[in-house]
Amino acid sequence: MQNARYDRKQILKFVGAAIEESPELRMLVDSFEPGDVFFRQGEKITHLYLMLEGEVVLKHKREDGTTLELITLSAGHFAGLVAFTTGNHSLTTGIAQKPCRALCIRQDEFDRYMNDHSKLKHPLQRLMLSNMADRFMTNVRLESQMNALNQELEIESNQLKDAFQKLEESQQRMVHQEKMATLGELVAGFAHEVNNPAAALLRSSEMLKENFQDSNDGTAKSMIFEYGLHSEPLGSSEIRERMLYIQKTFPWVKERALVRKLAQMPDLALELVQKNKKKIPIDELIQQFEAGKFIHNIQVASERITNLVKSLKSYSRQDNNDWDMIDIRDGIKDTILILSNRLKYLSLQLDLKEIPKTCAKMGELNQVWTNILVNACDVLQDGGEIKIRTKSEGDYKIVVEIADNGPGIPEEVLPRIFESNFTTKNQGAKFGLGLGLAISNEIIRQHGGFIKCMNRESGGAKFQIILPVKNCV
Amino acid sequence: MEKQIYILVVEDELEVMDALVNDLQSFETYFPVETANSSEEAKKVVEQIYYGGNEIGLILCDHVLPGQNGVDFLIELHADVLKHDSKKVLVTGQAGLEDTIHAINSADLDHYIAKPWTKEQLDSVVVKQLTDYVIEEKLNPMRFMAILDAVRLAEYMREHKLSDY
Repeated sequence: MQNARYDRKQILKFVGAAIEESPELRMLVDSFEPGDVFFRQGEKITHLYLMLEGEVVLKHKREDGTTLELITLSAGHFAGLVAFTTGNHSLTTGIAQKPCRALCIRQDEFDRYMNDHSKLKHPLQRLMLSNMADRFMTNVRLESQMNALNQELEIESNQLKDAFQKLEESQQRMVHQEKMATLGELVAGFAHEVNNPAAALLRSSEMLKENFQDSNDGTAKSMIFEYGLHSEPLGSSEIRERMLYIQKTFPWVKERALVRKLAQMPDLALELVQKNKKKIPIDELIQQFEAGKFIHNIQVASERITNLVKSLKSYSRQDNNDWDMIDIRDGIKDTILILSNRLKYLSLQLDLKEIPKTCAKMGELNQVWTNILVNACDVLQDGGEIKIRTKSEGDYKIVVEIADNGPGIPEEVLPRIFESNFTTKNQGAKFGLGLGLAISNEIIRQHGGFIKCMNRESGGAKFQIILPVKNCV
Repeated sequence: MEKQIYILVVEDELEVMDALVNDLQSFETYFPVETANSSEEAKKVVEQIYYGGNEIGLILCDHVLPGQNGVDFLIELHADVLKHDSKKVLVTGQAGLEDTIHAINSADLDHYIAKPWTKEQLDSVVVKQLTDYVIEEKLNPMRFMAILDAVRLAEYMREHKLSDY
């Protein structure tokens, strides 16, 4: 650049001298005041200007109406060079910034001047070339600057995107926590309300049983009552089979309802009925059996209610969702009970090996198990298989594995399943207890662990949760 | 022997089945009760009943069952010409609104009983549905006067000549 400028000065001196010598060329030199316009953007160029003194600035008006100062041309530069050589409309407006003198050559006469003043031809060509080179280098510099700026812009926009996503995630998490807190309150109230009638049921059936047993006099009737009390209900196909048997062994019993009731009695009870058929009417004996059976049914059902409520309470852990030394397996067992409705027709294999207690939030971890299990239930057909395994490595690491034999997770989806807002379920899916693997991921992260998901060689998906063993501080 | 009109109960929880069947025992002299713990078993029972030249007047069906669910079972049954007119009642604590709407639209569900039911409620539904069935199928109303809706059956008989049966 230094050389080019020096070169340009020398050439300009020479050109200046040549102009002084030729009266014709002297006539072409014009003076401009600051603010004078050489040419306007979008118009045809009539002259090519060789700057002899002063400065001219080239401005470009953009589509959005803003004006950009592109370049300042001083002595030795050509103004209007690009439009002049290409024959296009000018891309810029040239305005004198300082008092200028310039050689103004009309476009149609350029070649003639060149030929008439052969002395000028060579230096002018060199000047034009150096001008072009200058512009080109400016262009390259600008291009690389623009590139750098674009990169910065992209980084910034990525950072913004990240920040936005994090914000969205934390907002979802807060909404979720709020939901769980509300659910917990509801559950606590509900559990209390249900426990009362369940306790009444259990106690009443117990007392009813004792009432019956108090009058136990060792007769056939009281013995048959005991059989009823210890009977287990039979499946319908078994009942059908036994009904055929009863029709043969008790041919005098015609009523189908009675046949069905007899069919549900164990063989020992039937023997008693046979033995006493002359002494005690058969309906009385059946009644005794039924009484025992119904008391048994009440007890089983109310125990089920009590257990469900207990699990529901400890599952939601609203009484205590703080950091606590817990056995993670208790939470897994509660979760399984809560989801028993969904897991009912799946084969569930538990391999819950002894693991150390660790400092964790039971309620939150239960949401993780729920999430993974509900997802598995959604993809499994009846008879599908879920395996839950716990183990510890040394005294520092707990591993929980939940695997299913479903269709697995499509490879292209695998890297994204822990992202928030990612779902493969159709819109309008039912509101479940599980609210996304993104939240599970976050919960495990807060526990200082991590969660991994993979497809099994044998088919199906496997989630692996790794948690540290630590003490509460 | 006159053909038998069966009541079929489909329920997978044995204690619940036991209670349902007990509540139905007063009907059993007129309408034998059959039971199944799954839709698969129910289909076999249905075939046996029709094979013996008898038919099903009323089906009481749970929704959540192993394998095929209750609503889908009822829809499948409804598509069969022979069982098209059998009265279909869902007895469930778990069918959601969508499932129920589906059952009403596709299986022409006749009634929905929410668990837990009461004996009176169950009786009145069974009486109404079986009375409908007897009238629609032009069965001899005299046979069922004692157990079904006698007023409706008598009215029906007044409108039609007894010789029709």
